[in-house]
Amino acid sequence: MRSCLRVWNLLLLVTAISLGSAAVQGADDYAYDLVHSSVSFKARHLDISWIHGRFNEVEGKFSIDRDDPTKSSFQLTIKADSIDTANKARDEHLRQPDYFDTKQFPTIEFKSTSTKAVAGGYEVTGDFKMHGATKKVTLILKGGKEIEFRGNKIVGFSTELSLKRSDFGFDKTQIGLIGDEALIIIDCEGVRK
Amino acid sequence: MPDPLLYLKSMTLAAIISAIVVLVMATVKRPAGTTRLNVACVLALAGGIAVGQFVLTTRVLWPPLNGLDRFLTIVIPAVLGIELFTSFASTAPRVAWFLRLSLATAIPRILLHGSVYLNDQNAWSAWQGIAILVASGLTLIILWVLLNWLSRRSDTDVSIALSLALATHCAGISIMMAGYLKGGAAAFPLAAALLATSLARLASKHGTPALIGIGVVNLFGVVFIGCFFGRLPIAYALPLLLAPLLCWITELPGMRTRTHRSVATIRLILVTIPVIVVLVLVKRDFDRTMRPLLNSASSNPAVAASTSTRPVSPRAAWSFVVLKVQSAYE
Repeated sequence: MRSCLRVWNLLLLVTAISLGSAAVQGADDYAYDLVHSSVSFKARHLDISWIHGRFNEVEGKFSIDRDDPTKSSFQLTIKADSIDTANKARDEHLRQPDYFDTKQFPTIEFKSTSTKAVAGGYEVTGDFKMHGATKKVTLILKGGKEIEFRGNKIVGFSTELSLKRSDFGFDKTQIGLIGDEALIIIDCEGVRK
Repeated sequence: MPDPLLYLKSMTLAAIISAIVVLVMATVKRPAGTTRLNVACVLALAGGIAVGQFVLTTRVLWPPLNGLDRFLTIVIPAVLGIELFTSFASTAPRVAWFLRLSLATAIPRILLHGSVYLNDQNAWSAWQGIAILVASGLTLIILWVLLNWLSRRSDTDVSIALSLALATHCAGISIMMAGYLKGGAAAFPLAAALLATSLARLASKHGTPALIGIGVVNLFGVVFIGCFFGRLPIAYALPLLLAPLLCWITELPGMRTRTHRSVATIRLILVTIPVIVVLVLVKRDFDRTMRPLLNSASSNPAVAASTSTRPVSPRAAWSFVVLKVQSAYE
């Protein structure tokens, strides 16, 4: 009887340890879902309207620790060559060194350096690298609720970021009919690995 | 946005500065020897290029970030420095050519530094990269050696330098029409400074090999950047780059015996032909690729108003041309 109790206690201990370690592991890793995500932008045209565009090739991954959000991290890599403004000639021009210079700066990258939980999502600060210049930016990622769909655990976020092109090494003399400020809109889903 | 008036201002000032430097240095103490004339040419080109780029408001960053930055801050100062150093008679020809060939070998690598071509295996494999760098370096060396050799055979002739200026200017226009405005515009002061320096040095009877070296490197750099960073097709880049070699045709038997003036004229005509053909083809491509943008621009009320059949003033016509060009790019 006593040996049975010992075995039972041992089993409880092992279970408690494994549950505890699961709780400590915490962070869930997600892969960027290109099919259900988009990175788009808009910039002022003649200061009366907006030109819209998007980047079609994006990669990313994020790790979310729901118990300790400060341990969460977010990473996004956009291929600048994949710019699409629904006009081939304009896209070709935007790829050239007068604008994105995609042969010299092929990617636009964001890598988080700190994260904290806020109401309805996360406040993520990180390095935003574009056109050879890196700046600290802070994003408010709205969302973060995980759902299960056809056996996949999916999480979604949305954010908007306002940037000045001139802050990222774009030539000020090339800022004319298209305004300096651009709004980047990111809506993304991640699938848990 | 293309600004033709700014380009004209930049070229004019570059030409004036270059011409003044050469004329002052050539006349301040007569007779001007080859060494002093070479030094004058190098300084004239340096001054003209610097002023021209300043007027053009070409933004140059240090450390250089892109191909054009590296061309303007590393390659041009390097070739000016080498030609200045080798201008002095005490420099042995072997040393001079060692420096020139070393620079020619390094230029393609310098211009492509940090780009996808050298950092991304999807763009070029390692062997492909090496092959293209070697081929580019060899092309520059061949161009430099052959044109320098030809210029030595006819010391007082400036047609080779003028051919280089012509090819550089047309390369700039082609690169702009291929969509890289800044890269193309940067070529204009280079061409203008070379043109003015060549014409100003006609006042002297001495040869100036420095002009050829700087002209060749300028042309190569402009075409290389336009081809690898802009969208100038290689089929247009090569004729632009190699067109000055057609000057060698005047060395064929029967043509050499002609007068200096007729040889110079023949050389310029020979170089002009392929360069004009390239310009026509680039213009055709420009019309083809930019047509959708131009069409959409015509629906713009401002443009539509200017396309009405009413008689227009020259100022309005000029504004229309500028608006058309701007519309093509925005």
